[in-house]
Amino acid sequence: MEAVVVDYGSKLLKAGIASPDQDPPYIIPTKMKRVLEEGEEAGGDGTGNDEEVMVDTVVRGFVSDWDAMEDLLHHVLYTNIGWEIGDEGQILFTEPLFTPKYLREQLVQLMFETFNVSGFYASEQAVLSLYAVGRISGCTIDIGHGKIDVAPVCEGAVHHMASKRFETGGVDLTNLLAQELQKSNPSVNIDISDVEKIKELYAKCASDQIEFEKMQNSYLPEQHTLPDGQVITIGKERYIVGEALFQPQILGLEEYGIVEQLVSSVSNVASEYHRQLLENTMLCGGTAAMTGFEKRFQSEANVSASAIRPALVKPPEYMPENLARNSAWMGGAILAKVVFPQNQHVTKGEYDETGPAIVHKKCF
Amino acid sequence: MSWQTYVDEHLMCDIDGQHLTAAAILGQDGSVWAQSAAFPQFKPDEIAAIVKDFDEPGSLAPTGLFLGGTKYMVIQGEPGAVIRGKKGAGGVCVKKTNQALVLGVYEEPMTPGQCNMVVERLGDYLYEQGL
Repeated sequence: MEAVVVDYGSKLLKAGIASPDQDPPYIIPTKMKRVLEEGEEAGGDGTGNDEEVMVDTVVRGFVSDWDAMEDLLHHVLYTNIGWEIGDEGQILFTEPLFTPKYLREQLVQLMFETFNVSGFYASEQAVLSLYAVGRISGCTIDIGHGKIDVAPVCEGAVHHMASKRFETGGVDLTNLLAQELQKSNPSVNIDISDVEKIKELYAKCASDQIEFEKMQNSYLPEQHTLPDGQVITIGKERYIVGEALFQPQILGLEEYGIVEQLVSSVSNVASEYHRQLLENTMLCGGTAAMTGFEKRFQSEANVSASAIRPALVKPPEYMPENLARNSAWMGGAILAKVVFPQNQHVTKGEYDETGPAIVHKKCF
Repeated sequence: MSWQTYVDEHLMCDIDGQHLTAAAILGQDGSVWAQSAAFPQFKPDEIAAIVKDFDEPGSLAPTGLFLGGTKYMVIQGEPGAVIRGKKGAGGVCVKKTNQALVLGVYEEPMTPGQCNMVVERLGDYLYEQGL
């Protein structure tokens, strides 16, 4: 039976049977609605409001609501993928950097005890993204909805000492865009989910800082019609989203831009690996798929302070178009083909014998 | 039970048809309590560096882990308890107990997971015995 790969993110959950050179079959949002039962109240405000409550299952890359996660996985595994109760297969999960030990253990426990899987493996998204482009060493910059991970990987192992994780991501960029749009369109009330869609349609990266400043003063406004009929103008706001990644002061953060972070992260690794890491840099994650981001990254990298110029990896031709968004899932599919047949995963027997802590010993 | 028996029967045991290339139980001062036949000739400062990394996690990562002159790249371990090193398809796992260090060296086709299981299992047992 084929293994299933699940990549849960703060915004989207990618899942499906492991098929390496294809897109994940199921991409569904991780935000869930809790439908309240009769007699229950929403939000504790005591008004007896029986509307649905939005639940964020995954926050900043980590699972925060386990009941919602269980329901979501149940739906994906049994309804979408077609597992049958009593005949569950093997599953591979991806996880972000610095996942706390107890979260890994809780996931393993959920899978073996509630879902009764026959095999389990977990691997870090940074390593998997590199597998998707056919590399085992390199540096990944994963810019997701809830977090940014910068991780140097050598021969399939992440250098945790040198890796960095930032608690900023697409969701903060959406909030920034919402603020900016509110400033230029004060009479229009925009819902945050609409801002999210606008961001994906219009956000661009200026080709360098000078151009960004020019754009601030002279811009070509575009009209956009919201679903509820209101019309808003979008002009220079679209560039600020991309710029915030290179100048975090825009978001109010006292940090260096993304290219400097990459260089400083790599400098914490033994120097003989520097060339290999910098010349195999990979951008992945939903937010990294922004128009103009890659070009801007490359041009900033060319003028960066490092002696070796960071160079971006070219995805292989047989891989689908939007590799960057789903690279962790695809890498997981590739890894699943190796790990499960070779019995490197955690089996039910081993779990029963050793308990959840086995995940730390076998999966890395 | 002598220390040598621990090494020969428990560390160098068979798991799924594989076994460690070499294993040893050393004191934290570098003294050899027992070692397998193929265990590399190590230097006292290599052991000192390992012990220092248990106390200050992260000190070994920039330079790498050395054992018997072989350089291993430090990968994810458990701060203060386990240090894992990787070299190509093989590697090493070092588990710290109260007074000793349990080391296991593995190569292809044995997996890092299997090495960890063996070394850490023995380490946990010794820990419980107060050693």
